[in-house]
Amino acid sequence: MKDLKYLYYFEKLLDEANNELVRRAKEEGRICIGSVCSLVPEVLLSLPGAFTVRLRAPRTGSIDMGTYYMTSFLCEYSRALLERAIEGGYQFLDGLVAPDACSMINRAVENMELLKTMPAEKFFYRYMEIPMKADDNGLSVYVSESRAKILTPLREVYGIDTSDEAVRKAVKVHNEICDLITRIGEFRKEENPRITGYEYHMITLASYVCPKDLLKDMLEETLEELEKREPDSGKRFRARVVVVGSEIDDVDMIRLIEESGALVVADRFCFGALPGREVILLNDSEDALTQVCRHYMYASECARYMNREKIDGRREYVDRLAKEYHADGIIYEQMKFCDYWAYERMVGSHVLREEYGYPVLSIERPYAIGSSGQIRTRVQAFVESIEIKKLGKKGGI
Amino acid sequence: MKKRVVKIVKIISIIAAVFFVISFTVYFFNLDMKLTAAIEPYLEKWHDKVKRERKL
Amino acid sequence: MGKKIGSERLGDLYQPGKKVRKRREWRGVKDTLYDYSRWLHTMGILGKFMLNKNNVKAFFRYRWMLNFLAVPMMVDRHTAGLRGNHLRIAHTEYDLVVEDVAKLMANMFRADKNTGNDREFSKKLVILDENEMSHLLCGFPNLIGVGREIPAVYVSVLLQQDAVCHYIDVAQEYGLSGDVCPMPEAEAGVSIDDDYPIFGACALQCNTTCDGSLMGNGVIARRLEKEHGIPCFQLAAPIRHTEDGVQEYAAQEIRNAIKFIEDCTGEKWDWDAYFECAKRFNAETRERMEWLQMSTTEYPQVIGANLALYTETVYMAIGGKVPAFLKADKKITKLAMDSFRKKEMIVPEYRHRAIIWGVQAQYYTDFLPWLQNCWGILPLVDMLSMVSTRMISEDDPKQAIYDMAHLYENMIMRNRTHGGYKVLLNDLWGFCQQFHADMVILWEHMSCKALDGMHGLFEEQAREHGIRLIWAVHDLMDPRVVPRASLRQDVNRYMRSVLREEPLDPSLEEIDDADSW
Repeated sequence: MKDLKYLYYFEKLLDEANNELVRRAKEEGRICIGSVCSLVPEVLLSLPGAFTVRLRAPRTGSIDMGTYYMTSFLCEYSRALLERAIEGGYQFLDGLVAPDACSMINRAVENMELLKTMPAEKFFYRYMEIPMKADDNGLSVYVSESRAKILTPLREVYGIDTSDEAVRKAVKVHNEICDLITRIGEFRKEENPRITGYEYHMITLASYVCPKDLLKDMLEETLEELEKREPDSGKRFRARVVVVGSEIDDVDMIRLIEESGALVVADRFCFGALPGREVILLNDSEDALTQVCRHYMYASECARYMNREKIDGRREYVDRLAKEYHADGIIYEQMKFCDYWAYERMVGSHVLREEYGYPVLSIERPYAIGSSGQIRTRVQAFVESIEIKKLGKKGGI
Repeated sequence: MKKRVVKIVKIISIIAAVFFVISFTVYFFNLDMKLTAAIEPYLEKWHDKVKRERKL
Repeated sequence: MGKKIGSERLGDLYQPGKKVRKRREWRGVKDTLYDYSRWLHTMGILGKFMLNKNNVKAFFRYRWMLNFLAVPMMVDRHTAGLRGNHLRIAHTEYDLVVEDVAKLMANMFRADKNTGNDREFSKKLVILDENEMSHLLCGFPNLIGVGREIPAVYVSVLLQQDAVCHYIDVAQEYGLSGDVCPMPEAEAGVSIDDDYPIFGACALQCNTTCDGSLMGNGVIARRLEKEHGIPCFQLAAPIRHTEDGVQEYAAQEIRNAIKFIEDCTGEKWDWDAYFECAKRFNAETRERMEWLQMSTTEYPQVIGANLALYTETVYMAIGGKVPAFLKADKKITKLAMDSFRKKEMIVPEYRHRAIIWGVQAQYYTDFLPWLQNCWGILPLVDMLSMVSTRMISEDDPKQAIYDMAHLYENMIMRNRTHGGYKVLLNDLWGFCQQFHADMVILWEHMSCKALDGMHGLFEEQAREHGIRLIWAVHDLMDPRVVPRASLRQDVNRYMRSVLREEPLDPSLEEIDDADSW
């Protein structure tokens, strides 16, 4: 297939946290609020005059300082973020909103605060309580926390308009981008998709770490390009898989899976689009803030939600994705030391295999995967096992 | 009658003294724990054979 | 060997390669006879327990029951070196703890489908999480809250260091990572291994101490609900528990939990019963505050591992429901005051006053008696004992909901592992000042992310505050990862190479208890 026009540009954007579009937005006088988790409603951090960046630590090398402050038992994502913060890699931020959702990320941000890593004069840290159950009580705390920890400091510290109207404007921009990304993602359902999982991952990832409005033209052009794009004839992959699990912001991860013979047709992980890039529907009869929070609470597939409906719903959702995207198998992945996904991966992989009948590969991985031979071998073996199963079915075995 | 009472008291005292000597010996030389430590491996083997339905 | 504290070489009692010790300690005639009488009492409880056929059945059905063979030895380990009133304080604590756990297990096995199978009685039981407050049962006087994980996992490891290794392995065989906390891992392992008693009208789970604990509940609830039809409620206590903004959310969770229990059991919440418990709970808190107050002076009396284990039982599991505990508290205060007036010491020399912080090695809770006996390091208070001392309302139903919410937010361990760095980091230095401590023994539970995440800042701030900080690295419930000897070595190395001190009891410096219970 012909390369996408902006793919190289998106790759470049992902090379550093303070990328070209972030710098451009800052030059325009907008303030940048960092976040570290999908549970912080990103649309509220993107009110007119502000934009948000989900923190990553691209091209991570040594994480010695992160390890000194947080030991080697915390996930590498949290240590890499702290390392980058100590190195001064996030000094473009004007504030950081962290959810007290997982201990490790919370501690990473607390270390950033106590070690005074952010020099901006009016810089603020906020730690949000995030509901652990999707219900009315959970929604009430989500709304009050979003108001107190996001809207109030944005208004009081930086004079950002946080009115209902401003929230609706932000949702509109957010929806435009999400709609484009969703439409691009639809191509993955084709029998011979005209977009690879890697390309889609680049596009989605960019939307989390750049001011969204500045991506809009490029995304529109990419969609047009894709509509005309002819996929290569012949089989480019041996199996279609859904990738499910914890945070993946390492561009090499999806590439490695695809180099091993599997096409990633659905991205059910943090920094992925399912969920995360769906449109937020607002009505006029209720305030926008409540509707936004409700959307995030019910759409989230984070393993942290502990009520039964959510727990069972997570596995049903994976099944639904596998069916919609015609997947042959599921890869459950988990970053090492992640407590939430350690459990979710264990149960999810058993349930999807035993109760839903999918071939499932279950893997633990580091933050920066590089060209891990071990994971490559496991994915290759998984792809082969899917092929053997298919052959078995064809042959009536 | 008095003789009978004395006899009962005597028997009770002897029983109490024997109980004390034996139980104190068990206590002081940790014989209770030594015994349980000796039988525990056999009980573990028993539990390896108990049928359980392992599943998530 | 004798009446005087420090007169016995305690290390000589260990037998390398053996599970148990050579003999019990000689504490002089009076104290030895007293200790013997308490041993008889413990044996009596165990004997009575085994006379019940349900319990015998359970003994041969549940693997973890084997750990309870070691109850007398656990008491010995936690009374090592004690004499006089201090020995009496410890036994007062352990007598009740042993009785309470025996009662809890007897209730479980009476109702359990695999043993007693008393269905009517089972309807009166509500399953609670391990490490969960039990105050929600105070308002249901006809119901009994039972934590299945307490005897199966939590207490088991106190009794035998490798008690739950089997269950950890089972969970890992099912694909759970080896780097999660062994406690919820073992709890999930017991469930997978089909080794929990099955009973109860419903279960009340809670996001207690950590992310792993929350997730382990999901595994347990799955089997409870889908296989046994026991409905589960997940009580979501807020994480940022020190903030005003989350208190209404917490209170609503309490109201929802009460309604859930009412719906499942047909019982009605009883405010009179609740306030009776609240009064007792406050009285118990006042007693504990007296002990803590004594620990700020030169002559602390109620300290260390025993204070921690007893506080866990009284504060969390009992919550004012059992009058015997308040009676015991008053007795402890009386004994402690007597010793305080006489300026009695627990070990012959107090060289360092230490705050014990972090999550204790459950397989080595008697590390604290070792610290005091071997090096004269006095473990004044530990993190698990530093729980809420706030008085709760004794007559206002509206306020009582918020009080319960406060207590569920401030469960043992959770009150420090959650709630931001201030409750973990800043409070420690405050306690050092309050208790005139010159040293901190910091348990570094390797898979406790909330603690590990503050490692570097503990180091830096200890230096700033002029506090000597000794790390004691462990893996909570898995001695295969970090053996007990390694914990002692952490201290020995520091005491020898940094402080250049000699041990009070040299026989304890190097002991071989790798195979010991």
